[in-house]
Amino acid sequence: MPATDGERPSDAELLRRHVAGDGEAFGELFRRHRDRLWAVALRTVCDPEEAADALQDAMVSAFRRAADFRGDSAVTTWLHRIVVNAALDRLRRRAVRPAVSAADEQAFEALVAQDFDPARAVDVRLDVDAALRILPPQQRAALVLVDMLGYSVNDTAAILNTTTGTIKSRCARARARLLPYVAHLRGDVAGNRSAGESVSPAQGGDA
Amino acid sequence: MRGQMSHPDSEVLAEHQAGLISGRRGAKVAAHLATCDRCTAVSDQLAGISVLLASAPAPAVPDGVAQRLDTVLAAEAARRSDSERAGADRSRERAAEPRRNRRGFRFLAPRVLAPAAAVVALAAAGFGLSHLGGLANSRAASSAAGPPAATPAASSGAKFAKTAAVPANAAPAHSGAAPLYGAARGAALGLPPHFTVISSDTNYLRATLRPQLEAALQAALPTPKALGVSLSPSAQIRACVSRVTSGTSPGTPLLVETARYQGQPAIVIIASGQGGDPAWITGPGCSGTSSNILVMTVLPPGISAP
Repeated sequence: MPATDGERPSDAELLRRHVAGDGEAFGELFRRHRDRLWAVALRTVCDPEEAADALQDAMVSAFRRAADFRGDSAVTTWLHRIVVNAALDRLRRRAVRPAVSAADEQAFEALVAQDFDPARAVDVRLDVDAALRILPPQQRAALVLVDMLGYSVNDTAAILNTTTGTIKSRCARARARLLPYVAHLRGDVAGNRSAGESVSPAQGGDA
Repeated sequence: MRGQMSHPDSEVLAEHQAGLISGRRGAKVAAHLATCDRCTAVSDQLAGISVLLASAPAPAVPDGVAQRLDTVLAAEAARRSDSERAGADRSRERAAEPRRNRRGFRFLAPRVLAPAAAVVALAAAGFGLSHLGGLANSRAASSAAGPPAATPAASSGAKFAKTAAVPANAAPAHSGAAPLYGAARGAALGLPPHFTVISSDTNYLRATLRPQLEAALQAALPTPKALGVSLSPSAQIRACVSRVTSGTSPGTPLLVETARYQGQPAIVIIASGQGGDPAWITGPGCSGTSSNILVMTVLPPGISAP
């Protein structure tokens, strides 16, 4: 049943129209969710240019693969999944390929390095987005969806195509990993690193 | 007093908070928390992270990104209806008839070599300057590969020249690692269409972008007053052009220029499209892996149509 003018067609209806050849439907659907998809892409790749590329890739991919949508998840879940995958894909490619911009790449490597030492970052003013960069991509994607964008663990599991247990675990580990940075950000030194370890003197004292 | 266990680390506390630790171990953590102020504080801070993250303002889609997405989407939609209508053989159509889309490749000729664009340096280092007269209503289809044997209007006195581009076996991007020495070699390797990069000192400005781009396209027509330096594209620019134009116009770009945008080194790419020519400005770092698009717009159709 086609929606009449003035009614707001559902996501699924728009996708059906698109598959049926409607030239406007996909644009309407995509614009409807664009802001959130942008937020997901940006915070997953932590770079506006990469995010724009990822979102463009995802949009084109969704446009072309719309007929593959089976309706076993919400259209938004499907769209988010394509965007997150495009974003993770860009990160993956960036990680294995030699950088175009050596400086960028080094900065990125330093940020994602496993042995990145939080104590050394104490002097650096980190905002939330910057703090997110220290997370491994999969943890970051889960945390962005759950904590930043407010998706339920169930929806996030569907988007990332994994189990709710995995999502909970990724989020928990991500929060633990962020703790020293975020505590610093709030000028709060009590929670640095794991509680069982001695607190480095370098971590005290600055706002 | 000492608890029954040593302080669990923050990851354990986070997992406990997420309900991931059950049974005896979970009970032990809970018991420890009940008696340990320090771990309780850490636990509170972990919960505070979620609050902090949730309060971060959502980023707005930048205008340039929104425009670019709209354009790519429009191109995608046009492409779909094209292929539905015409059975998708645009290349044959192109080869057969000189229609608007086949107007060839014109390159803007600048006045002075731009000082500092990194890409220019790259290109110059890799491949010498081409000094080829004439411009490009490229009939080049006939002479597929060779470096454009000076086309007619060897625009007199052009100290710096423009180049006719060579067409167009629009092969998909092939990030050739091999150095390229010209169109012939490029074609031989099955690389994407040869094009020339023009280096100019134009400073494109946000406020006047469209008129400037339109003027640039017009200047790329074979008029004597357009002078410029043309360079063979570096592998980076090649990859950049392929990436930027992918999904919109698989053919050869109408114009590739290294110039400035808002005073900063930038790359200008104009491709031919149906219903308007898409134009992009990218940062100098544009490559096959990151397009680094700063702004994107669509020029009205027919600017440079004969």
